Amino acid sequence: MKIANLMFDCAPADRIHDGRHRKNDSQRGVLTVEDQIAELVAKVAALEAAGSGAGAKVTNTMFAETYYYLTIPLMIIIHAGFLAYEMGASRLKNVLSSGVKNILAFAFMIPTFYFFGWWVYFGFPTGIPGAAGPMGISGVEYANSIAWGWGESAQYMGPNIADNISGVFFGAFALFACTTASIMSGAVIERIQTVGFIILAVVLGSFAWVVAAAWGWHADGWMVTKWGVHDFGAAGLVHAVAGFFALGVLINLGPRIGKFNADGSANHIPGHNMPLTVVGLMLIIVGFWGFLMACVVPPGEAWSWFPDKFATIYGTPITLGSLSFNILMGVAGGIIGTWLFTRDPFWMMSGALAGIISTASGLDIYFPAHAFLIAMSAGLILKPCADWLERRGIDDAVGAVTVHGTIGLYGVVMLGIWGAGYPSLAIDNAPTVSLMGQIGGAVVFFLLGFVPGYVVSYILKMFGMLRIREGAELAGMDLVKVPAAGYPEWGTDAPVTPAE
Amino acid sequence: MFPYSEASWSVVDGAMFIGWGTSLPGITTVLAMIACVVVLVIGQRSESAKAKTFDK
Repeated sequence: MKIANLMFDCAPADRIHDGRHRKNDSQRGVLTVEDQIAELVAKVAALEAAGSGAGAKVTNTMFAETYYYLTIPLMIIIHAGFLAYEMGASRLKNVLSSGVKNILAFAFMIPTFYFFGWWVYFGFPTGIPGAAGPMGISGVEYANSIAWGWGESAQYMGPNIADNISGVFFGAFALFACTTASIMSGAVIERIQTVGFIILAVVLGSFAWVVAAAWGWHADGWMVTKWGVHDFGAAGLVHAVAGFFALGVLINLGPRIGKFNADGSANHIPGHNMPLTVVGLMLIIVGFWGFLMACVVPPGEAWSWFPDKFATIYGTPITLGSLSFNILMGVAGGIIGTWLFTRDPFWMMSGALAGIISTASGLDIYFPAHAFLIAMSAGLILKPCADWLERRGIDDAVGAVTVHGTIGLYGVVMLGIWGAGYPSLAIDNAPTVSLMGQIGGAVVFFLLGFVPGYVVSYILKMFGMLRIREGAELAGMDLVKVPAAGYPEWGTDAPVTPAE
Repeated sequence: MFPYSEASWSVVDGAMFIGWGTSLPGITTVLAMIACVVVLVIGQRSESAKAKTFDK
């Protein structure tokens, strides 16, 4: 395009449009052919120079900005998936209220992450009280300077012609936060109050997982610098934290009416639309390509780890090719492993998620066939783990605790077994991945999820803000919460679950 | 509200949002926080009242 414009500039307009009125060169004061060629050569040389200098720099900055920007709509597909998944897994009388809950979680997560979640991520990598770390990108003082929506730091929290990265980086992290809320959302469908749920979602998405990310997903994170924890794709710090947060909530929330019989045996409560649920799960898989893409740091910028290659958030090298190999093999392994025991499309697609989650910690360094086997093993244990939880009286409507919590920790520990000895940071004398370090990380991730989930839901229960009233639950939450009907033609003739 | 002394894009070299350099960003941030809390309070009250109508 530039070349075309350049050549057009060099051709006098009267030669092109009106040859009848052509004058000689001296009369018109225009360049001779030789001069024009010389000018053209000079402009081409300038363009070539720009291509290897400032022009390349601008192009790289735009690439890095666009790279993160595109991860955001991809991650929103995760939420389209969770929306379909939860609504399909709900009975007809609750289908819209499940959707409303999920949409509101997304809507409240974005501003609360803007208000304080982003600040927490930069404030506490070294732990409490928030001292500065060796990389110079952490600590309360640093967070105060870049992550508040007021004062001088506001310049990095809004439109700024000199800052191409803060907004898109914030956007990617805000969508990570939304993902944690959606993970919890599915487990608690059909009996939770809307506002109580939103408060829990905010505590999880704008605080609990952010602390886990600061500690274990930041180059200054104490779990990384002291224990060598490596969790590239956030198996522990997103999935396990959210999964076990959900478990803490489920203990206080209790099962849906009709889920368990007097003798403790469980009834299956089928959702109203299995195809919608399965397609939703597939959409989540699509969105996870964006999620994992956003876990990668592009090269060549002042904030990049390398001038010429992609890096993980720890600064260790990675390629998008690694992700392509291992995500695909993980998805396949998870589906195949789950199919062996269940033959159920719901669990097969949950197995696909489990396949990604079980390999997420080491997607940057696993060999694809190795990733396949780990994912397949995760698929094999998935349903038995979910059944075990159900026998303990936990009504996890979509298996979120198992898929995200149990398998998330499984993935963190698996990397400790297979990835021991790998440097956790791209610095001299870096701490290395170890089984004990990964187990320690898994314990911390479990606690960062379970404890706040249990404590906050307990407080909400004390104030009567956790569970919907019995009469409303039996009537259906759509009647209570939503002035619309999911399937109006069905009226009151919709089938009722026998367990009720 | 243009945040630079000269009304020209050629002088813009950093933050360019309305209110930069004033207290407006802080005020709007706090108002947005309050709005979120108020919405939750209203939502809780209305949902609780509706749910009670289904008590047997």
